[in-house]
Amino acid sequence: MLVLTRKITEGITIGPNIRVIVLEIKGGQVRLGIEAPHAVPVHRDEVYARILEENQQAARTDAVTLPSFMQLQDLVKKKA
Amino acid sequence: MIIHSTRFGDIECPEEKILKIPSGIIGFPSSTRYLVLDHDRDVPFKWLQSLDQEELAFVIVDPVWFKPDYRVTIALDEIMELGRVDERDLVLFVILTIPSDDPSRMTANLRGPVIVNAGTRTAKQVILRDEFPTRAPVRHEAPMLQASAGHSISLVECHR
Repeated sequence: MLVLTRKITEGITIGPNIRVIVLEIKGGQVRLGIEAPHAVPVHRDEVYARILEENQQAARTDAVTLPSFMQLQDLVKKKA
Repeated sequence: MIIHSTRFGDIECPEEKILKIPSGIIGFPSSTRYLVLDHDRDVPFKWLQSLDQEELAFVIVDPVWFKPDYRVTIALDEIMELGRVDERDLVLFVILTIPSDDPSRMTANLRGPVIVNAGTRTAKQVILRDEFPTRAPVRHEAPMLQASAGHSISLVECHR
């Protein structure tokens, strides 16, 4: 991993069109400003990890037969 | 073409029915071609079966069915890989997690919906900025009729 030291208002440039700037450092937290093209998804690590983990859980679903799906559907309706 | 699936055996899949997901479902980048398996009976659940990994399949649902007020806003740039977008062609579904030991505890991932461009048969799983849960309990909140209400996607030119 590349490690760089930056001060407030200083930044780093990644590739031709991504910039990360340190905006504020306060009580063990760093506020970052990120300039990137909209097509580049930027997310907090934990959000991405949560989606990934949920997809992995979802992929473990066993084959559900149509009758069970219909029961599920009824069950959901009853909960309403 | 015939595709093989662990859960459903061999399935006939017309080429034109293939749904391309170029970036893959998050965590499964090597599966980029899927088939949506529909039931001949009227249930809201469908299967999203990978053509590239026979054991990979997800249960999907139109969230309007249980969450009629679910609305998402997506930047056009974010779905560039879906090709030319006509807003009327955009469809959205969410992935369900159904625990084997108690299917009634199923949840829906509302934070990471899959956006489909029906025009180009291309889709992408997006991560929303809105604080939607990844494990929303699925409870029916509206009459089934509302499921056809449709347009729950707003497109914006700019997001940041």
